[in-house]
Amino acid sequence: MTRYLVGQIFSFLVTLWVVLTLVFLGMRALPGDAATILGGMDANAEQIAVIRERLGLAGSLAVQYSDFMGGIVQGDLGDSLRERRPVTAVLLDRLPVTLALAGMAFVLSLVIGIGLGLLAGLAPGSIIDRFTTLFATAALALPEFWFGFLLILLFAVNLGWFPVLGLPPSGLSWQASWHLLLPAFTLALPRSAQVARLTRAQVLEQRMSDYVRTARSKGLHPRGVTRHIAANALPGVLPLLALELGGLLTGTIVVEQVFGLPGLGATILGGISARDYPVVQGVTVLAVAVYIGVNWIADLLQAVADPRLRTV
Amino acid sequence: MELAKRSLSRRSLAFALAAAIVGTLLGTASAQTITMAMAAQPDTLDPQVTSATAAFQVSKSIYDTLVEVDRNGDIVPALAQSYEVAEDSLSYTFHLTEATFHDGTALDAQDVVATLQRMLDPETASPKLSEFAAITGVEATDDRTVVVSLSQPAPALIASLASGWGAILPSEKIESGHDFGNQPVGTGPFAFVEWQRDNSVTLNAFADYYQGAPQVDQVVIRFVPDSAVQLQGLTTGEFDVIDTVASADQATIESNADLALVRDPSGLALVAAINTRREALADPRVRQAFNHAVDSQTVLDVAYGGGTPIGTFMEAGSPWMPDSIEPFAYDPERAQELLNEAGASGLSLDMALPQPYENHIQAGQMIQDYLSDVGVSAEIRIVEWGVWLSDVYGGAHDYDLTVIGHTGKLDPTGRLDGYATEADNYPGFDDPEMAAWLESGSQETDPDARRQVYTNVLQRMHDGAPFIYIGTPDRVHARKASLEGFWITPMLDSFDFRTAHFE
Repeated sequence: MTRYLVGQIFSFLVTLWVVLTLVFLGMRALPGDAATILGGMDANAEQIAVIRERLGLAGSLAVQYSDFMGGIVQGDLGDSLRERRPVTAVLLDRLPVTLALAGMAFVLSLVIGIGLGLLAGLAPGSIIDRFTTLFATAALALPEFWFGFLLILLFAVNLGWFPVLGLPPSGLSWQASWHLLLPAFTLALPRSAQVARLTRAQVLEQRMSDYVRTARSKGLHPRGVTRHIAANALPGVLPLLALELGGLLTGTIVVEQVFGLPGLGATILGGISARDYPVVQGVTVLAVAVYIGVNWIADLLQAVADPRLRTV
Repeated sequence: MELAKRSLSRRSLAFALAAAIVGTLLGTASAQTITMAMAAQPDTLDPQVTSATAAFQVSKSIYDTLVEVDRNGDIVPALAQSYEVAEDSLSYTFHLTEATFHDGTALDAQDVVATLQRMLDPETASPKLSEFAAITGVEATDDRTVVVSLSQPAPALIASLASGWGAILPSEKIESGHDFGNQPVGTGPFAFVEWQRDNSVTLNAFADYYQGAPQVDQVVIRFVPDSAVQLQGLTTGEFDVIDTVASADQATIESNADLALVRDPSGLALVAAINTRREALADPRVRQAFNHAVDSQTVLDVAYGGGTPIGTFMEAGSPWMPDSIEPFAYDPERAQELLNEAGASGLSLDMALPQPYENHIQAGQMIQDYLSDVGVSAEIRIVEWGVWLSDVYGGAHDYDLTVIGHTGKLDPTGRLDGYATEADNYPGFDDPEMAAWLESGSQETDPDARRQVYTNVLQRMHDGAPFIYIGTPDRVHARKASLEGFWITPMLDSFDFRTAHFE
């Protein structure tokens, strides 16, 4: 167990280091830096040099890299060049919006995906099964930004049931969940389609297996059979859910743009166009950590759900 | 009995609900909040460390300046109730009015001194520093009087002090290293409440405002980049005023009795810069030919939703625009003649257009068409804004043609300085005689002599044509018809909510 954990932590650190180095180099390969953008069209070359110095961008690449890595080791992500405050504060401001959106979307995709998948798998060839297949194909084919605009047009503009913007001006609160429903649904749709397809496939596979036939033949109540099928089908869906949860984080970038949500997606896009290196790096650290963390949790959950996997 | 009771309670429930709904509706109306949607967003609310128009558009409500621009574009007293210029033009004396900062401290001369010293401090690294470079000393001679000394006459200084970057900050907070960027404190009509980046800025009316409290209680500014979403929000009532209207939507708004479309001249000078460093573009006749080849009125109408053509590097409607300089006439034949005279044929150019500025990109596409009519081909290359700033506008000036808008300046030095020296301007225009004029214009204190200097400069910019001059677009914003008294500052384009109210 210890060896397993040490190995996992080691691979996490190596992944993080590789990704951060790539982001560090990639951002600096872009022409222009935060000083050129802050200076805009008014500052001359001399003033831009002063701003560059002030922002700590005047040092060589090697110096900046070692400063950056040194900071990371000490848990310091640095200061945002644009917002002039610690990156951690920037992330803490934005994270709740993205978490709320991703969380709502995850629950929605679970409910819709597993619900439809179970119903379809238990009654193959039925109307609900055919509907599920159609739904899954359509939902996977629709680009998120387009679907989001359709939802806004129908529910916000024509029917007036929802506001056009994803958040009230006061920010995140319980009232905001009403605002977040359309973006969360947009984000959940393609994911629920994948969950539905896999759930359906798993259920179908279980339905054919020997234990189900035995259970049926010894006269087990159909509800009991269903419970057995579900219990054996769902562990197979878990790894996908973990991937989905990681994918939700990248999916929020697009959906946040469509609905004007001030989350991490807006932060990283704004950070890239302002060449706010520390912010882009900070969001990356967070995204990598979440992605890897979610996959660990999924591994653990799978072990809980499926005793055969409890080898470590 | 039981039934009657139930229906009664149901009825009272319906009543309560209706009352609640009406109450909410009335509530929002009587709370008097103006919600504005703006497309861009500030990078910081510290007026001394930014050059972004969006930052000054918002900070205008939070801070005041010593002098300010009125609706006619004239510079009028603000925190300084009056000022005098010394005989030798080497010092300005400002007499302050009574005003209070949002933190409760009273404005005094020390605040002005500390503010200007902060601007001059290299640590502040202000992109506007050069506008204040002539200042050699700032001194408070008493509580209400500040004397600013200069190394040389600087007639443009008053314009800088009237601009957003001339905002006066409280000295106590400057000394304690306060974070004005995230927690601005000024003397303005509205006090800062909250800034949720990418979402909103909330400002509350400041009861002790020195010109009298504003007429509404609160201003909420929402950041909405998409003009379609802005319009949707205006139609559904989420927004009271929006700052971006697509040309295609103007008719929709004009036909809606609940909405009003407001059109006034902006402070922008739109141009397609020509890289005069290129051998093929070094001949002024070629550049004049380009100007004759493009129908700038059509470009303004289609790409920018209307505007006024210009014939030189100054926005239409500026008091500095000489009446004698006419826009180039749209005349493809004349353009062809000029190209033939210059011996230019088969030109093939690289046109760099800045993303995400859709209207500049559209204008570039139209200019590409017009140029192809006179046998000049241009290939469009879309570049991201940061790349545009560092490689096209600055750095190696890697472009032949590019389209951009230059923001309004209250004084011509801000627009024209550097445009006669190859190394200091992106079209690479070089003219030693004009450089000498610019040098004298920046120090000339006699208004008539100064005007003559800039008329000469602008005539040279017309003849030398380092730009295809497009024009000054109308600034079009839309509001609810019931919202009165909101206006946008001429030239500086900042938002003024001081007299805004609902009828």
